[in-house]
Amino acid sequence: MTAINNECPYISKNKITFSFDGKTFPAFEGDTVASALLRNNIRLVGRSFKYHRPRGIYTCGIEEPNALVQILSEHNEPNTRATVKRIYDGIKISSQNRWPSLKFDLGAINNILSPIFSAGFYYKTFMGPKGFWKNIYEPLIRKSAGLGKPPKNFRSKSIHQYHNTDIVIIGGGLSGLIAARKFINTKYKVLLIEQDSFLGGILKNTNKVESINDNSPSEWIKETEDLLSNSTNITVLKNTLVTTYNFTNHLVALEDKFSGKKIDLNKSELTLHKIRTSQTILSNGHIERFISFRNNDLPGVMLASSFEKYIHRYGVVPEEKPVIFTNNSSTFSLLKSIISLGCKPQAYIDSRRKDEIESEIKKFLKTNNILSYFDAEVEGCDGNKKIEKITVRQGKNYYKINSSMLCVSGGFNPDIHLFTQSKGLVKWDKQIASFKPDTSFQKTVTLGSVSGNYNFKKLCDEIDEKLSFLKTKKLNFEIKLNVSNKFSVKELWETKKKNNSNWSKTFIDLHNDVTTKDLKQAITEGFDRIEHLKRYTTNSMGTDQGKISSINSLAIVSKLLKKEISEVGTTTYRPPYAPLSFAAIAGRSTYEFYDPERKTSIHSWHLKNNAVFEDVGQWKRPWYFKAYNNETMHQAVQRESKILRESAGILDGSTLGKIEIKGRDALEFMNLMYTNAFTKMKPMTSRYALMLGEDGMIKDDGIICKINDQHFIATTTSSGAPKVLADMEEYLQTEWPHLKVYLNSITEQFSTFNISGPKTRDIMTRVFPNIDFSNEAFPFMTFKNFDYQNTKIRIMRASFTGELGYEIYISPKYGLELWKKIFSCGKAFNLIPYGTETMHLLRAEKGYIVIGQETDGTVTPIDLNYNWMIGKNKRDFIGKRSLSRPDTARDDRKQLVGLSPINKSDTIEEGQHIVEINKLPNKIKNPIKYLGHVSSSYHSPNLNQSIGLAMIKGGNNLLGQKFFVTVSGKTQNIPVEIVNPVFIDPENKRLTS
Amino acid sequence: MILIKCPYCGERDQSEFANGGEAHVVRPQNPENLSDKDWGEYVFFRNNPKGIFYERWVHSHGCKKWFNVVRNTSTDQILKVYKVNEKRPDLTEFENTLRSPSGEPSVGSGNFAVKK
Amino acid sequence: MSKIVSLPGVEITQRDFHQIIIRGNGSETFNNIIKEKTSVKPPLRNLEVKYDENFVFGKNSPDQWSLIFIDKKEHNQINNLVTSINVNEDLLATDCSYGQVYFEIEGSNKDEFLNQLTHFDLRENRFPKSTMAQTIVARIDCSIYNLGSKLILTCNKSYEDYFQKRLKDTALLSNAS
Repeated sequence: MTAINNECPYISKNKITFSFDGKTFPAFEGDTVASALLRNNIRLVGRSFKYHRPRGIYTCGIEEPNALVQILSEHNEPNTRATVKRIYDGIKISSQNRWPSLKFDLGAINNILSPIFSAGFYYKTFMGPKGFWKNIYEPLIRKSAGLGKPPKNFRSKSIHQYHNTDIVIIGGGLSGLIAARKFINTKYKVLLIEQDSFLGGILKNTNKVESINDNSPSEWIKETEDLLSNSTNITVLKNTLVTTYNFTNHLVALEDKFSGKKIDLNKSELTLHKIRTSQTILSNGHIERFISFRNNDLPGVMLASSFEKYIHRYGVVPEEKPVIFTNNSSTFSLLKSIISLGCKPQAYIDSRRKDEIESEIKKFLKTNNILSYFDAEVEGCDGNKKIEKITVRQGKNYYKINSSMLCVSGGFNPDIHLFTQSKGLVKWDKQIASFKPDTSFQKTVTLGSVSGNYNFKKLCDEIDEKLSFLKTKKLNFEIKLNVSNKFSVKELWETKKKNNSNWSKTFIDLHNDVTTKDLKQAITEGFDRIEHLKRYTTNSMGTDQGKISSINSLAIVSKLLKKEISEVGTTTYRPPYAPLSFAAIAGRSTYEFYDPERKTSIHSWHLKNNAVFEDVGQWKRPWYFKAYNNETMHQAVQRESKILRESAGILDGSTLGKIEIKGRDALEFMNLMYTNAFTKMKPMTSRYALMLGEDGMIKDDGIICKINDQHFIATTTSSGAPKVLADMEEYLQTEWPHLKVYLNSITEQFSTFNISGPKTRDIMTRVFPNIDFSNEAFPFMTFKNFDYQNTKIRIMRASFTGELGYEIYISPKYGLELWKKIFSCGKAFNLIPYGTETMHLLRAEKGYIVIGQETDGTVTPIDLNYNWMIGKNKRDFIGKRSLSRPDTARDDRKQLVGLSPINKSDTIEEGQHIVEINKLPNKIKNPIKYLGHVSSSYHSPNLNQSIGLAMIKGGNNLLGQKFFVTVSGKTQNIPVEIVNPVFIDPENKRLTS
Repeated sequence: MILIKCPYCGERDQSEFANGGEAHVVRPQNPENLSDKDWGEYVFFRNNPKGIFYERWVHSHGCKKWFNVVRNTSTDQILKVYKVNEKRPDLTEFENTLRSPSGEPSVGSGNFAVKK
Repeated sequence: MSKIVSLPGVEITQRDFHQIIIRGNGSETFNNIIKEKTSVKPPLRNLEVKYDENFVFGKNSPDQWSLIFIDKKEHNQINNLVTSINVNEDLLATDCSYGQVYFEIEGSNKDEFLNQLTHFDLRENRFPKSTMAQTIVARIDCSIYNLGSKLILTCNKSYEDYFQKRLKDTALLSNAS
């Protein structure tokens, strides 16, 4: 039966209720799921991962391997550690990994089948026959593996908070608080991080400390907390867990803002703190480890210090008459706690010899008449879904004890996880039988039990000495103890089984159901390196990361291998220290903030005029405009494309990258950056240009405007703009620092409109009556600057549609106004707005390429038949030398061609393969010869047929030949003819007249 | 996320920077005189050592300046930062810092935590 | 001018300024030309900011300066200034008046507020008064000018909506906790 500790100052007297698996129970505000369940005498909490064995609450904190529950309230959060999650009134909780119920779980058949689930089970079992993995094994494993079910319909509002600070103290226990007090009102900016909702650590979790400077532990905690909160240089974060310790003292910590409170969906429930500090102080304590014995997973087995923590931290005595099994001196305070509450341990079993056990413990056991076994061990325990009988072995004798609870202590491990994450080195310490920090790799100090110092009396000296390099006060506290100051432990990892049987198991990893037998088997099979063994057996790979058991497994393995533990070594500790929710990692970068959005100055107009947007890089670009409500994309694009070639259309091209290039060496620089020759180009003219990588492949294209030899303006693709500018800067800074050239991005400084179509000249003349747009005054590929109202504009004659066209550049302040003016003037000429899809269709009709569509990083200008763009007389430009590499100069490379279906009603799909056969076999046995792929395909309203651009091996020599294009989901291919990629106006009459 | 000291802006978070691969690979003065093999070496081949590495970084979200860094790739320690036009520091400068977190071998991904 | 965020200890106001970016080598000649054209001597130290009630002049990098005009100016005045600077072969001046947006950030909690959006170390000893920094705020490139009592933050105009929303969202969620 459970008992109550009414003296507990950390639990409120406010009564609340919660439900577990549909039944409602009472609890107190401040309870965790686990303390509330124990308060109600519930010890069966879940089923295990692999064998579906009944499991209970094993610990009282972050290290919990068993008691994982699903929080049904709000958003169905799975795999929540019952020992950490604090409850509030009305919270609904369910057990997981059981069906149909926790008490009767069909999956428990796995326990009977367990011989086949041994080490390496996954690797050995699911080998064949062919097809079984995809159709049978995987769906089966997905259904039965894992624990809880994923959350549903939940939008987290987690936020990130960055900190730049001088000192971070991790752990607000006794040593963390003493360290923090040294920094009060110093010049250091300090962050103290505590995972619990109360400070105090061991002071609140045990009764080991009687007083500090004659104050009771809780008074001293209160005093310290007041002092810290009055000190402006110190910030305390509670309910915050440090999960990650990166290089250069970068820490990540997760704060649960709603610990013990109902989540408000309008608020952020988690904060991920990203901390950069000059110095880290680790005072994150120690974690108790268990001992492996037969059925050491039965509900009712609990770590001794956790049992003690339930008494002092939560005011619950999980069982009035537990049995204690220990190999060290720490359980003395538990004995004292139980007796002081009027309860009595059923038995005390100590694996140490009588002469090794402290006389005060022996005296206490005798005085209180507690059944004791020295130099003895628990052989195992038995019972149905709970402990009923415990078998003790002392020498050759076996004793049976009736009890429902067994408190186990196998010693303590300094919690070296964060220290080793920081790349610090650890060393085996025989005195405490564990690894402890040795050499720091970063600016890291360890204090208290994490450093392997379990001696409270020496704590103040240790802290003073280790922090002496900082300018802090000297502090000395007189710490009086209830128990002996000396810690003694005798190594014990696994007790001997009386009989061998498949039914009872001795676990080394409770979370992943790994037994000590699995370790032995893995070693027999040759997995004798600890990292291999871990992965083969899945030992310590659960969400608890083997916090109470991983050192035990190293010890067991080292004995099997007849090596020292330090020789076996540890596996690598990696972040996170404890599970970290994806919502916290994502922070606000989800949904509406998934990616920053860029909008042009015309955006509001597009919205009003029923634009449908497309993401181009981070830009929102009109994809097409709906003329009426249920116009489909296809209809809109066909309409826009047809009208533009008949009258005129206008595109918001503000997203195009624009770079200003100026300096006395600008001409030489441009000649080096682009394939084209700019030397003979006349001022105030423009030219379509290509930029290559050093490998000769096309990286970007754009129009270059030459103002004079010292001043150019380059346009780039919308998404390529930052990269092009960065590449230009790179070459200027690193390869050609002698060139006197300066660059500025002017993408944002201009709204850009591309207006084109046969009626464009009429419209432009109406918009700008003072400008002569005649072909003679304003020829193709020239540009001019004009004063316009209070600003300056630049107009360039250029086109991406194949029709007569102009590009207008104006300050974004005046952009929308001019856009509207163009529309009022264009109304008479049936001017329409068009989007990127129509732009792509029109340019495909004209055979113009799009970077990223026709090119994919493996295409040279020669592959596109753009030889005319290569300044052959230039000695050098980026990528030039690569164009003559044997592979780049091959004539069977994929080359740009046009495709026209032989049957005009056929539709070619983008991305399809081009093959030589008209029909694919039903079952493909031998590879089909592949000639190339369709890079662009549209239905052309102006030719009234499907057209395509394709990259085909040796395409230049295949003009007029017939091939086939595959169709998705079908075997019948479409016959096509290879044609010139320019479908409209191959003589460029429309462009140039 | 490590801290990188931009020679122009001071210490900043790694997220402000972009790595530019091996440093001191100079673009050939006369590419046309190079054999295909030599040009291929320049375009495609770079070193990737475990240990001391001379590499380029650019403060891409800050001043946009390129600079060189000597970094120990097995520890991520930055041993030196210098401007593009500054002399390449001699390897002997870093002899005493040639180490991995746990004295692991110079080849392989092993990463031991226990002090021998 | 519009108020974007008003919280205890954090006030953020969007302002309309004009700005030019100047690139050059920082030589004596350069300084004289700039002084002559703008009547302000450019800051000499990298990341230094000079300011008064009419302007903020920051050195962004060894060869780039930003001159922000706080006082009202006609756009053509700026255009003419840019043209007159660009007469010099070794200088590049660019008008970015309407390609940037400007936020004034004031208040005792401004650092903590901004540190929900940026890793940047705003502590006084790392980012002193009269200096500037280019960094990432809310995942986009920004410049921050430290004028002591307040910060001026600028980013590209195309991000205006996004950035405003991020600021307001941050305010909403900081208010809530």
